[in-house]
Amino acid sequence: MTTPVTTSTPTQTVQAFLDAVARHDIDSAIALVDPRVAVTIHPFGLYEGGADVLRTVLADLVRAFPDLVISVSRVIATGEVVTALFKAEGTQAADYAGAINQEKHLDIDQAWRFVTRGGLITEVAAYWCQAQLYRRLAVKRYDEIAIA
Amino acid sequence: MTETTQRPRTAESAAGVVTEFFDRYRAHDVHGMTDLCSINADFSYVPVEIWGKQRVLRGDGKVSTVGKPLWTGLIASFPNLSNTVHSITSNDDGDVVVQADIEGTQQLAWGLITPAGRHYREPHLFIFHVGPDLLIDSITAYWNDAGISQQLGHTEVD
Repeated sequence: MTTPVTTSTPTQTVQAFLDAVARHDIDSAIALVDPRVAVTIHPFGLYEGGADVLRTVLADLVRAFPDLVISVSRVIATGEVVTALFKAEGTQAADYAGAINQEKHLDIDQAWRFVTRGGLITEVAAYWCQAQLYRRLAVKRYDEIAIA
Repeated sequence: MTETTQRPRTAESAAGVVTEFFDRYRAHDVHGMTDLCSINADFSYVPVEIWGKQRVLRGDGKVSTVGKPLWTGLIASFPNLSNTVHSITSNDDGDVVVQADIEGTQQLAWGLITPAGRHYREPHLFIFHVGPDLLIDSITAYWNDAGISQQLGHTEVD
């Protein structure tokens, strides 16, 4: 059940979003997202629109890493833009981003840039290094990601 | 190494310093880039990590000892290295966030990547902090290094 959260500042909106993701509560996170949100996930080459796209990105992450821990180090507000720096950690339990499950531990530093309007996230752009991700998941080659 | 200024730090002046930083980067003026930084400015290029047998080298340290050699090496390997700034946002505390593409054509080896004359263009997110003296005292950057490797024809993760 989605529980809308009333927030007032861009930082509060993003912080509530991150808190929900950290709880693996994807419904509450998506309740803070504009239905027409612009979603850019650079490591995936994903440039699409819509809350369902972001829902899939988050759900895939939580499903692949059921013990996922999100540790936020900084939240930087620059007007309507809020940039969050955090580390995502977890143990792989399902295929992710093309990589088969070898039960490896992932720890990856990320930066997500949000734009908010009216208490909702209208843009999100995610930055992390897919080389670091594949290295931790024991992937050897970019052209053979699914081969251990 | 440092330049002094009498301007107060505001969101606008901090953004102006960072804009100048990217202008100088585009001009391959590495000395000019470091002139915009404080002597002890922190530096972190998060994706940079080289795994050896017994240790991991990371792109963390100071602008003077890690950033400057790294920029110099990049420009040597990619003589037409350039940047396109897409957005700059800032606040009165001196935080400046920049979305920029970095691109270049490889002419010399870069890390484990042998030169094949290929071109890369990769989105980056930079987080700067500009001190009250209007000098950059921290640079952090994120990007997808796998994207660069693949564009340059390097298909091995390490």
